[in-house]
Amino acid sequence: MYGSTAKRLLQHFGAPLVSSSGTHMIRFRPLQSLVSRSHFSTTVNSEPFANEPPSFANSTSSYADEFPNISNSSSSTADHTRRSRVEYQDEQARVLQASLPHVIRLGWSEAAMIAGAKDIGVSASIVGSFPRKEGMLVEFFMDDCLQRLIDRIESSPDELKSLIPSDRITKLIRIRLEMQSPYISKWPQALSIQAQPVNVPTSFKQRAMLVDEIWHGAGDDTADFQWYVKRTVLGGIYSTTEIYMLTDNSPDFRDTWAFLDDRVKDAFDLKKTIQEATYLAEAVGAGMGTSLQGFVKRVFQG
Amino acid sequence: MVMALRTVTRKSGSKLLPRFSPAALLHSHATSFGFKEVREEEKSRMVGNVFSNVASNYDLMNDVMSAGLHRLWKDRLVSKLNPFPGMKHLDVAGGTGDVAFRILDSVNSIRRRAMQDVLEDDIQEETKIYVCDINPNMLNVGKKRALERGIGEDKSLLWVEGDAEALSFGDNTMDGYTIAFGIRNVTHIEKVLSEAYRVLKHGGRFLCLELSHVDIPVFKEFYDFYSFSVIPALGELVAGDRKSYQYLVESIRRFPPQEKFASMIADAGFQQVEYENLVGGVVAIHSGLKV
Repeated sequence: MYGSTAKRLLQHFGAPLVSSSGTHMIRFRPLQSLVSRSHFSTTVNSEPFANEPPSFANSTSSYADEFPNISNSSSSTADHTRRSRVEYQDEQARVLQASLPHVIRLGWSEAAMIAGAKDIGVSASIVGSFPRKEGMLVEFFMDDCLQRLIDRIESSPDELKSLIPSDRITKLIRIRLEMQSPYISKWPQALSIQAQPVNVPTSFKQRAMLVDEIWHGAGDDTADFQWYVKRTVLGGIYSTTEIYMLTDNSPDFRDTWAFLDDRVKDAFDLKKTIQEATYLAEAVGAGMGTSLQGFVKRVFQG
Repeated sequence: MVMALRTVTRKSGSKLLPRFSPAALLHSHATSFGFKEVREEEKSRMVGNVFSNVASNYDLMNDVMSAGLHRLWKDRLVSKLNPFPGMKHLDVAGGTGDVAFRILDSVNSIRRRAMQDVLEDDIQEETKIYVCDINPNMLNVGKKRALERGIGEDKSLLWVEGDAEALSFGDNTMDGYTIAFGIRNVTHIEKVLSEAYRVLKHGGRFLCLELSHVDIPVFKEFYDFYSFSVIPALGELVAGDRKSYQYLVESIRRFPPQEKFASMIADAGFQQVEYENLVGGVVAIHSGLKV
């Protein structure tokens, strides 16, 4: 299905490893040669741990099948490292998962991650091994939510089919935003972390995937330029609703859903959109026209 | 750099610097101080004096040779470690305490304290930083420096004499393990790495700061010139000891390059093995995670 294809695409074309000025980092893998493994290893880091451990193990075992003839220094360490190869990413994912309950109290911070590590009995030093610390926690959460959304879509397809497209979009966005509601008090911090330059590539990619997934769940199958337009528009709706939700104090976020409804209806209301576009064109034309007239007058008078 | 000189004096023993071989002095219960005969009570004082002189030269030599950069390198090491309150940390070959002091400062820093709950103050008490060194004199210098800094009475800082190849700590007891400028001088690097793996907890990190190999074309020539011509001359001038510093620069060249050392770390069982070159490869920080 598209969702799993997206996952695989993400695994293959993950964000590149960022190297800071003056330093040179290499991820070392004793088994596979650096060249063949490098893009897997980079994605392992920036790719968030949306995959549940079993599926992750499945995907890496397929990698192991792909590279059966790798020469290695000693077979015993090879076995040991191949079996435990997945472990450190799994451990990191477990720590991030255990940190989420602490976020409500401690924010998206190292303190939450340290508390999470202590909860599951892993040394809190592991927090030092995350390259972008809080950024990775937020990314993990975003991926977790995306995965839950995908699961929800796949588990009850009829629920959506019975609605008109604009309602489908509304419902999907609402489902997704409701996943954030327990953390809403600390969500502004998460947004600011996502906006940090070092985190922007990954957060942008995650949002792009999210928007794509929502459109796909709503049954979209355009294959032309409209694809970009639709995703941009939906991205705008999602972001504005998310921000509106930050200051919404109504019970159960009623006002946010009303806001969302309005935005989606506006976007879908073709007549209104055309009318607004016409007004805009007229205003621009008028402005340009008068300024052009004035310019020409001055040129021929002066 | 400090360890280099100590190893050299131990190896070449009385041939090179008869008076400056602390190990030889300590093992003898006799009251001989070099060629002099002294009373026992005075001996420790005189050894103390000698080593203070030599140690102060070591620090000066470190500063002169690296133009003070070694401080920044150690800062970088500790920031990569990301210390936290309640941490159990082991700094090996860290006799004079440079790295340990930095870790303690980081854990106790005001900024960190501001982030904590009031209820977590007792966790702060549990922080333990062990400084392990094979040479008790270097440990004493470290203790003295701690006193000078006003943290001599800090219960978190513990000075332990021990061999990096056979640590006296239990399995799975340490959150972090660092070794700064020490691993180049051990006899069996693999043993040190496997000991490090043994004492670290699940999720613990290994960090190693060491002089390493430069590959950048033009810079490499300049660095070679600096190493083989300037440093021994400085050693002669400042510490009166050309041969030790000749040994130092040669031992740097003989130490495995970054990739090879990283593979050795991985062979010991560590995962997520990475290295970061500072100053184009003059110094490298290797890190590994135990899962």
